[in-house]
Amino acid sequence: MVQITINKQQIEVPEGTTVLRAAEMAGIHIPRLCDHKELTPYGGCRLCIVEVQGIRAPMASCTLPVSNGMVVETETEALKKSRQFVLSMLFSERNHFCPFCQVSGGDCELQNAAYREEMTHWPIQPGWNDFPVDTSHPYFVLDNNRCILCRRCVRACAEMAGNFTLSVAERGAKSMIVADTDVPLGESSCIKCGSCVQVCPTGALIDRTSAYQSHDKNLQEIKSVCVSCSVGCSIKIMVRDNRIVRIEGDWDGVVNKGVMCEYGRYATTNENRIRLTTPLMKKNGKLEPVSWDEALSAVQEKMTKESVAALASTRLSAETLAAFKDLFEGKLHSKLVTSIEEGVPTAAVAKFAETHEGFEGKLDALKTADTVLCVGANVNRSHMVAGFLFKRNLNAGVNLINIDPDETSLDEVARISLKPKAGSDHALILALQAIIAKEELERKSLNIKDADARIKKAVTETGISEADITKAARMLAHAISPMIVFGKGVTAQRDEKLIEALYQLAVQVGAVDGERSNLLSLKGEANSQAAALMGLDRPFNLNGEKVTYLAVGDDWVSKKLIEKISKAQYVVVQASYESKLTEQADVVLPVTIWAEQEGHYINLDGRIHKAKPALAAPEHARDNLDVLTELAKRMKLTLDADWKKSIRERKSSVALD
Amino acid sequence: MTKPKIASDWMCGCAGCHMSLLDMDERILQLVELADLRATPITDLKEPDAGGVDVGVLEGGINNTASEEVAHRMRDRSKILVALGDCAVFGGVPALRNFCGVEAALRRAYVEAESNEEGSQIPNDPELAAMTQTRAVHEVVPVDYNVPGCPPDPDVIFYVLSELAQGRKPELKDGLLHWH
Repeated sequence: MVQITINKQQIEVPEGTTVLRAAEMAGIHIPRLCDHKELTPYGGCRLCIVEVQGIRAPMASCTLPVSNGMVVETETEALKKSRQFVLSMLFSERNHFCPFCQVSGGDCELQNAAYREEMTHWPIQPGWNDFPVDTSHPYFVLDNNRCILCRRCVRACAEMAGNFTLSVAERGAKSMIVADTDVPLGESSCIKCGSCVQVCPTGALIDRTSAYQSHDKNLQEIKSVCVSCSVGCSIKIMVRDNRIVRIEGDWDGVVNKGVMCEYGRYATTNENRIRLTTPLMKKNGKLEPVSWDEALSAVQEKMTKESVAALASTRLSAETLAAFKDLFEGKLHSKLVTSIEEGVPTAAVAKFAETHEGFEGKLDALKTADTVLCVGANVNRSHMVAGFLFKRNLNAGVNLINIDPDETSLDEVARISLKPKAGSDHALILALQAIIAKEELERKSLNIKDADARIKKAVTETGISEADITKAARMLAHAISPMIVFGKGVTAQRDEKLIEALYQLAVQVGAVDGERSNLLSLKGEANSQAAALMGLDRPFNLNGEKVTYLAVGDDWVSKKLIEKISKAQYVVVQASYESKLTEQADVVLPVTIWAEQEGHYINLDGRIHKAKPALAAPEHARDNLDVLTELAKRMKLTLDADWKKSIRERKSSVALD
Repeated sequence: MTKPKIASDWMCGCAGCHMSLLDMDERILQLVELADLRATPITDLKEPDAGGVDVGVLEGGINNTASEEVAHRMRDRSKILVALGDCAVFGGVPALRNFCGVEAALRRAYVEAESNEEGSQIPNDPELAAMTQTRAVHEVVPVDYNVPGCPPDPDVIFYVLSELAQGRKPELKDGLLHWH
């Protein structure tokens, strides 16, 4: 610990703390524009200057580490003058006229800083230089005229999203934020996560959907969890007049620390599916609006008499899934009760967990891994935030080995890409083990006797040369902190042996040992793991059931599912949006979307989050759980499942918190 | 003792700041108690007293030779000069034309705009004031108090004028300082 005095206040802070952070710990605010708590200090704007006893010139506190006995003043007349000068220079660079800027009036950090320093005017008028405005991006606009070159966006792109799209072109006053090699943002390598917009202190990066909709002070902020995938990012839903204006990453979020992906941030505000607002029933071959009473009576009558197959979305809460399982499996004794994922991302893992409870690790390990092996896991398309956690370190020397039969954008950043022929991953993993054993690089011996045979088999089956497999094996074996991540490419094969092979490989290279487990499967949607733990993971193959009940909620419906349903006899769809599925339904029950309902979600590494409702539902849309409860009531059944117990019926592959 | 004299004028603005001045409602009577409101665009007298006033208020930026004259006259005749509103303080919305230049702005307005008749021309009557770059008041004459806002709040205008009328220095900060 280091002793330091700030504004006559003595405090003790850990060594290595910057003066700016130390001041924050003492409750002293130092103005800043380029600094951001989730980004590496940059020292670009010079607004955070402080006076340090014994040092003649003011120092930028954001990059100045504390030292023992340091005496700092943050608010003197001289500093105020200097800050006013710094701001004057910023205002003189570009178009910072406030009246027609969307962040003016409280949401602009530049304007707020000027108010704080009591600036009534610009001592130096602007130079009237015109800079380009880039409107090519689907979600946001980059107006270089509003830019103060703080490079928060550049750092967020690199350090948060790990995408390295944004950078600075030209020099001095002509410096400009550009994408890639100065191509339009919409045509660039941008992964559309929106992190740059969230950190921009001025109106240089503007969100298209929320621009000019409201000042932040008029928005209601609801902290909740994103239900787009199993990563489980903490989010802030910004609401005005029962409408989502914008979704932001929550800086306090344990999993994501403020970062989000395209789906989580933009899917809801750019939703174009048509909302269902009334129950519908097929009459004379056409869907007609009916009352809830009529619709539920019809469903109840059918379900009392006939055999039922049921399927639920994994975007539904654990409470809803537990009630769903209780109703259809527990009370109605249906043979076919499963989830919309049909266990594709989880079943094999769950099976392996029966003998290896809690064998998977934590997402956080990706942040510190020095070599990441991705197997059948395209984190650039699904579970993007999980990808961000290690992609951000790739430029710092972290190795990525990508195993995927398909060409993916991950190959562009991978140090080694292996493309085994479909279905040959098992042979490949065994060969990796064999080479590591043969070269005596094992942390823990697997006692492999048939190394040469394995390698030969893999070369034949995968179509990859021994030299390439060897390179990957060496890279993984030499890692100090290796991490193995696998996704649908692996789990879709429903082969427990493949999971076992990956587990052994992890043990062999020390990714899994007594202390840590750096092995993780990505799973699927938000409540994939909850569904798996409840056993809702079998394939959905209709076998003459008379009634098919589909609780899809606000989920997207695959062509495959629609095809399967085309042969079903009586179809009940509990959904929020119109789809090809509801078109085929005999009864449609309109329900709430994720932002209108409450419930718990278990993410891919076992964290349990609570989603909170941010919006009031449309008049005739009912809560997913309520619909199931009401149906049970009408059938004289009492649903008594407790989701907390339901998720502990099976052994979990991840430790639950 | 006679009441301090206040005069105002406008240049390249939209009259919004004077509207905001009127929006102080019944407090304008308090202001009249404190000061002698002389020439303003909203009173009969149009030019500040040749003998001078205590406080001169200017709305709008300076965008041509006519407004230059207005600014110089007000400065010459005022002990204290107040720049009122974003246009007077920064140049404001009219200053946007500085990014493209006077020529391009005129051509767009009088020739290229879809609403113009065919063959429309940029007015060139020699009696018209010559257009210049749009400038903040402090770029042309020294300003004593900048009161930003688009428009400044009536509360802010009342505070500034009543303080000046009573011989005190208004301090714009915290809740009183807004640029838009």
